Amino acid sequence: MSESKFETVSSLVDGYKINDEAFEQTMNDGEMSEAWNNYQLIGDVLRDEVKGLITDDISNQIAQAIADEPTVLAPKPSESFSQAVKAKVVKFAKPFGQMAIAASAAGLMVIGVQQNVAQNETFIPNQVLKTTPLGGIAEPVSLNFQSQNSDRNAQEKAFAEQQRRFQALLHDHEQQIKLTALVNTPKQPEKKAEETPK
Amino acid sequence: MKLIISFLVAVGISLPLWAEEQAQLSLNALSHSIKTLNFSTSFVVVKNNEAEPYHWFHGVNEEGEELEILSLLNGARRDILRKGNIVSYIEPELPPYSIFSNDIKGPIPSIFAQDFTLLESSYDFISVGRSRVLGRTAQLVRIVSKDAHRYGHWVWLDQETGLLLKLVIANRAGQLLEQVQFTHLDISDVPADSLVQLQDTELPKVLEVPDDYEQPTLSWQVKWLPQGFESISTNRHRITLTKQPVEFMMFSDGLVDISVYVSPSNVRQRAVEFLMDGATVALNQVNNGFEVSVVGKIPSQTAKAIADSVALMTNPPK
Repeated sequence: MSESKFETVSSLVDGYKINDEAFEQTMNDGEMSEAWNNYQLIGDVLRDEVKGLITDDISNQIAQAIADEPTVLAPKPSESFSQAVKAKVVKFAKPFGQMAIAASAAGLMVIGVQQNVAQNETFIPNQVLKTTPLGGIAEPVSLNFQSQNSDRNAQEKAFAEQQRRFQALLHDHEQQIKLTALVNTPKQPEKKAEETPK
Repeated sequence: MKLIISFLVAVGISLPLWAEEQAQLSLNALSHSIKTLNFSTSFVVVKNNEAEPYHWFHGVNEEGEELEILSLLNGARRDILRKGNIVSYIEPELPPYSIFSNDIKGPIPSIFAQDFTLLESSYDFISVGRSRVLGRTAQLVRIVSKDAHRYGHWVWLDQETGLLLKLVIANRAGQLLEQVQFTHLDISDVPADSLVQLQDTELPKVLEVPDDYEQPTLSWQVKWLPQGFESISTNRHRITLTKQPVEFMMFSDGLVDISVYVSPSNVRQRAVEFLMDGATVALNQVNNGFEVSVVGKIPSQTAKAIADSVALMTNPPK
């Protein structure tokens, strides 16, 4: 049936007029009218008469595809924006110059924080930090927890927190020792002069 | 018989004096050599069952300016460079910076290059005897605290050059807490090549304090310290790793530095906790909502006593 149906369409396209009834029927049948359109299109293409025709369907599809494309929510930072920020920072920094030394030294130290936390965690295993129990005065940090406690997780968290606190203190102590020269060296100008013969 | 007794008494009196004098001479030779010799040396710092290897170069150029490089050889690069009175720290955590300083702050106490008599009020120097260290004849000198609040430092000094061959920090029971063992020592007439290179290197920008900078007056004070400790720095800053704002005080007796931190805490009370990193103790406690931490190469009892003595300034000066 369907074969003969398309045959009718084909005949129609080729200009063999079967009868009005058959034509009417063909145009009313969705499938057949589409086939009609396609055959006409093929014919047009063969006769090189397409022009704007092809755009119709494909451009619709492209438009659809574009509409379906997910939106990328990562706009590139505009050049002018970052420049404005930089300019502001410079403006900010200039009036202070080197005056706010403590702040700048602190700022220096802040920059390294993230890497340093990660680094210390991998760099110094917990066991390395030995504790010595001491009679009476202090509760030593214990590395051996009683695991039967149900709040073991909480204990572990507190322990990690404690390790972090001590690590931070040891690191800061080292840093401050280096920076003491900042406030102490100018107090001995005669020594400084003696060591800079240039 | 009388003669023998009086002889023994005389020896008994003069021997300690002689030992003290010998020790002084050895230490003076050390500080002189550290400042004037061209040497290239390696050492390891042994603590917590770990060894950290370092390379240390020192030299004096033709203009009489001291050049120095101290590098940690394991892990991330940590170098300290010194040209005269400019010291640069190159560390993984921070962009490189320089400061005006006459000494580098490394594992070797900076007093070793200075005048040991500054320590006389707090420490005794005792020459103990000779032994063999790094294949050389070494003189052992003990720097012993006059009170029980500090550790002792034992130094082995090269008989020939006076340079340091070994350093041990030990508690009063003689238990070893931390040691620096030299593994190589090379003394030359001219500075090492790396120092010659350093001379032509431009060091990072120097951080400076303005002339009128004054250290802030803090609202907390430390009421007890072992005799001989003096304040060398006070400030308010944020602890690098935790970003916690603190009031900070640093004290030194010339050999040992103690840091004291005070900050408000979100906990009302927390019992004393402490941790030993080699000879360095870090102690922390919360009292009435205020957290006090003490860090330094001191016994934990001393740190506890210092932490307990921290009090609000009753009538701030000025």
